[in-house]
Amino acid sequence: MRKLLLISILSSFLISCEDVIEVETPTDRPRLNIDALIKVQDNSENTTINITAKLTSSFFESSSIPEIDSMTLTNSDIATSEDRTISLIEQPAGSGRYTSTVTNSFLTSGVLILDIDYDNQQYTAETRFVPSVPISKLAQGTDTVFSDDEKEVIIAFNDIPDQENFYILDLDFNEYLATEDEFYPGQKFEFSYFYDDNVSLGREITVNLLGADKNFYDYMTQVIVQAGGDQGPFQTPAGTVKGNIIVKNSTEDTTDFVLGYFAIVQQYTRTIILE
Amino acid sequence: MNKRILYAQLLFFFVVISATAQEKFTLSGSITEESSNETLIGVTIAFPELRAGVTTNEYGFYSITLPQGSYELVVSYLGFKTITQKLDLSKNTKIDFSLLETAEELDEVVLTKDVEKLDLRKPQMSVNALSSETIKKIPVILGEADIIKSILLLPGVTSAGEGASGFNVRGGAADQNLILLDEAIIFNSSHLFGFFSVFNPDAIKDIKLYKGGIPARYGGRLSSVLDIFQKEGNSRELKVNGGIGAVASRLLVEGPIKKNKAAFLIGGRASYAHLFLPLFDLDNTAYFYDLNAKINYKINENNNLFLSGYFGRDVFGIGDTFRNTYGNAVGNFRWNHLFSDKLFSNLSLIYSDYYYGLNLNFVGFDWNSGIRNFNIKYDLKHYLNDKLQVNYGINNISYVFNPGKIEPSNDTSGIVEDQLIQKYANEFAAYIDVEHQVTEDLSLGYGLRFSNFIRRGQEELNVYANNNPVNFNQELGIYQEARPINTIGGSRSDQLANFSNFEPRVSLAYTLNEQSSFKASYNRLAQYLHLLSNTNSPTPLDVWTPSGSFVKPQLLDQYAVGYFKNIKGDLYSLETETFYKNIQNRIDYIDGANLIANDAIEQVILNGEARAYGLEILLRKNEGRFQGWLAYTLSKSEQRTPGRTLSDGIIETGINQGEWYNTPFDKTHDISLYANYDLNKKWSFNTNFVFQTGQPTNYPIGQFSFQGLTVPYYGLRNQGRLPTYHRLDISATLTPKKNTSRNYKGEWVFSIYNLYNRRNAASINFGRNDETGANEAVRTSIFGLVPSATYNFKF
Repeated sequence: MRKLLLISILSSFLISCEDVIEVETPTDRPRLNIDALIKVQDNSENTTINITAKLTSSFFESSSIPEIDSMTLTNSDIATSEDRTISLIEQPAGSGRYTSTVTNSFLTSGVLILDIDYDNQQYTAETRFVPSVPISKLAQGTDTVFSDDEKEVIIAFNDIPDQENFYILDLDFNEYLATEDEFYPGQKFEFSYFYDDNVSLGREITVNLLGADKNFYDYMTQVIVQAGGDQGPFQTPAGTVKGNIIVKNSTEDTTDFVLGYFAIVQQYTRTIILE
Repeated sequence: MNKRILYAQLLFFFVVISATAQEKFTLSGSITEESSNETLIGVTIAFPELRAGVTTNEYGFYSITLPQGSYELVVSYLGFKTITQKLDLSKNTKIDFSLLETAEELDEVVLTKDVEKLDLRKPQMSVNALSSETIKKIPVILGEADIIKSILLLPGVTSAGEGASGFNVRGGAADQNLILLDEAIIFNSSHLFGFFSVFNPDAIKDIKLYKGGIPARYGGRLSSVLDIFQKEGNSRELKVNGGIGAVASRLLVEGPIKKNKAAFLIGGRASYAHLFLPLFDLDNTAYFYDLNAKINYKINENNNLFLSGYFGRDVFGIGDTFRNTYGNAVGNFRWNHLFSDKLFSNLSLIYSDYYYGLNLNFVGFDWNSGIRNFNIKYDLKHYLNDKLQVNYGINNISYVFNPGKIEPSNDTSGIVEDQLIQKYANEFAAYIDVEHQVTEDLSLGYGLRFSNFIRRGQEELNVYANNNPVNFNQELGIYQEARPINTIGGSRSDQLANFSNFEPRVSLAYTLNEQSSFKASYNRLAQYLHLLSNTNSPTPLDVWTPSGSFVKPQLLDQYAVGYFKNIKGDLYSLETETFYKNIQNRIDYIDGANLIANDAIEQVILNGEARAYGLEILLRKNEGRFQGWLAYTLSKSEQRTPGRTLSDGIIETGINQGEWYNTPFDKTHDISLYANYDLNKKWSFNTNFVFQTGQPTNYPIGQFSFQGLTVPYYGLRNQGRLPTYHRLDISATLTPKKNTSRNYKGEWVFSIYNLYNRRNAASINFGRNDETGANEAVRTSIFGLVPSATYNFKF
């Protein structure tokens, strides 16, 4: 997060001219793209799981939906076999959205395993539930950084003491920040976020604070950077952000990999209406 | 050893010694410019009858030992009146010469400075020199004369694009350049993130750039040495010069403290406070300034003292939410001492400090970091005879690295004060370097540098399983930071790592005929400091890290051969060189590495290798109304980081599948043209044309989505290229006629950068347009057409 902030400030000094150009990009083969971030709200007993399956496409084409043979979620700590595994059903058919509603207790303890069968290949991932903390403050401020039309929002939360923690902030408008507590261990962390001028007044903004483990934090950090586009001359090297969903028995095809991530995290939500 | 060989060697020594044991005497002294008493570097003192000669060193000193006799002596330096006189050498003799400038007397013939002249006979190759006059003539962005931007027009020198700081020599990284300002190491050479360099052109005498064949007296960086000599100050009369430009204004005052004995120089430069910021229309600041000061005192014929200082800062601020300050501070004391007319010595005590500070009030923290170093150098130049000069010396640098101290910037901030672990190191070197004219046609340069680097103990040190701070996750196919299994304390008296290297340097020049020569060189260099920079171009917040238990020193082997020719006397010169270099232990970063405020940098670094090779051609026209050069470079620069073989049976892919990939500054073709035309006494015109292969970049091979984000993904690194880069700059200098008759002289410089307004891409970014929801490729170009005017004056 720190780095992103700095870089965006630095590059803003330099950039004098931007335009959209036409370029041809190379094409990779279509790969499985799974978005399996399961958010457990603190204020409910059940969670509706929504996992999205897509196929990757070349950069200027639109993606398509894969025909997945099966998708299951298993809690390996549950003793009784009929309760251990649940199937995720595509609803509506052909949409690529796989859902099921489970109790929070199914998700919040033990090792959870996601299994996917697609095109005669098995893919798998495992994770553990990561807790989060409530957003203790969400208020509008009056400062601006780059333009007078920006809206400052002050966000604060209290870090979980006595352990290393990572958090993902979902700030609405597909804007995310990843942060670790290295410099505010066990403290109240308060900072400002600036929305651009095109956020209209009176609009409700939803801010979510998600827990993350180290690997998910690393993943999100890279996803934010790679999706972030403009970094000017201080560009970080472009790469392929690999997630935690792996090919089972990958001996046959070592070049196959899945894009996306499987994580189960607690989420706290607050909203604010900008004035 | 075979007795016969031993005998032959003894005989050889005997012959050499007996040759030097004839009745010989030494002529020595120093050479200055008449009007200012400023010493001149590279003046030739020649004895045509003996076909012998010598040039003055960095402090204007010369010494030559010749058989007794009566000779004609010629002291020449382009742009100055040649002195020819008879010399009866029958005892050791000391003569100081003062040279008169000729430029103003000659109407037709305009000459370049001698310092830039090609020397066919010296074994030194791969070196380019520029005088401050040339640097000031080259058209640059916003009219601000600039050393770094000037050297980019030389063959083998590129940068990672407009607005990128630093420069790249022969495919080397920006942190591999040793930048010396009066022998002090400068860590960041840029103002405003690379738009301008930190050196005030008015305070500079000459610069020399070594791209290869680096003499043994230099070390510590692999790719180049940029040796910058500051003026000493006019010890005859008070002089003022300055300029008012579009970006910055500068003023330099120099004059005698004690006539002909002691002089001072003080120069300052400051940009206007709200540079670039009309763009934002906000309560912001962005400016830079620098100060140069120097005092020299000639105690007597054998002792000279110099005290010099440099202080520069860049300041950026946005309201009170953000403030960024960085810059160099250098203090330098030097003592030139002549032990005899053959033995010149210089002692330097140098303190330098690079500071980087940041205040981010909206996140609630202050950040301070930097490098301090103290450098002691003792160098001797021994002019044994007219065929043999030996340079030797020692050098010790102790470093303190402060990777960062973080503090809360206000009461509500939850930031806890934290000092990232400071690092300490000591670098020692000793060298000997011989310039040997073996026969009339063959000269050799050979030397050896011994370098030793000790990484001292620090407060806390991480210990890793199998001593391995980076793990490879075979299932996911990615590198991950290893968790330390223990953290141990330590003190500065401990040694964490100790590296020693012998660095041989060899070069030769073989004169084919009066007009041409062949040169070859080999050198090995070791570099113990690494700039951690994971972006295409260094930023001021990049931190330097010393070699240690997990980061090995970089080692370079460079081979170069060249053919050099003067055409039509000295009217034209042609320099062609090819080089090959190979670098071990070039660091690379694991994907997603965070280098800022990282207290365990070893967890994201892998040691790889790099190589570069190329061909350089430089054709210069040195005399006449029309002067300039055409430089062409054909080159390749690559690096790779293969997977390691560790004992635990894990098969690593390496970075980029372990394959070679283009470095971000690899440019296949690079053409630079610089031309200067003096129309008459009033007008002169200058132009640059630059044409380069676009920089390597990455085009996405596909896209995926996660949580509403569209994420491009990429194949092997740096396989695509930005569009070809080219631009034309022009400038015109107007010197009003009334100047000739009076003391006050003024001139106007009008320039246009990027005349045909090409939108050269600095980068292409791939992302989703938030408004339309469609994916797009966005080109960022930094400078379009930029006109400017500068007024320079002196009196």
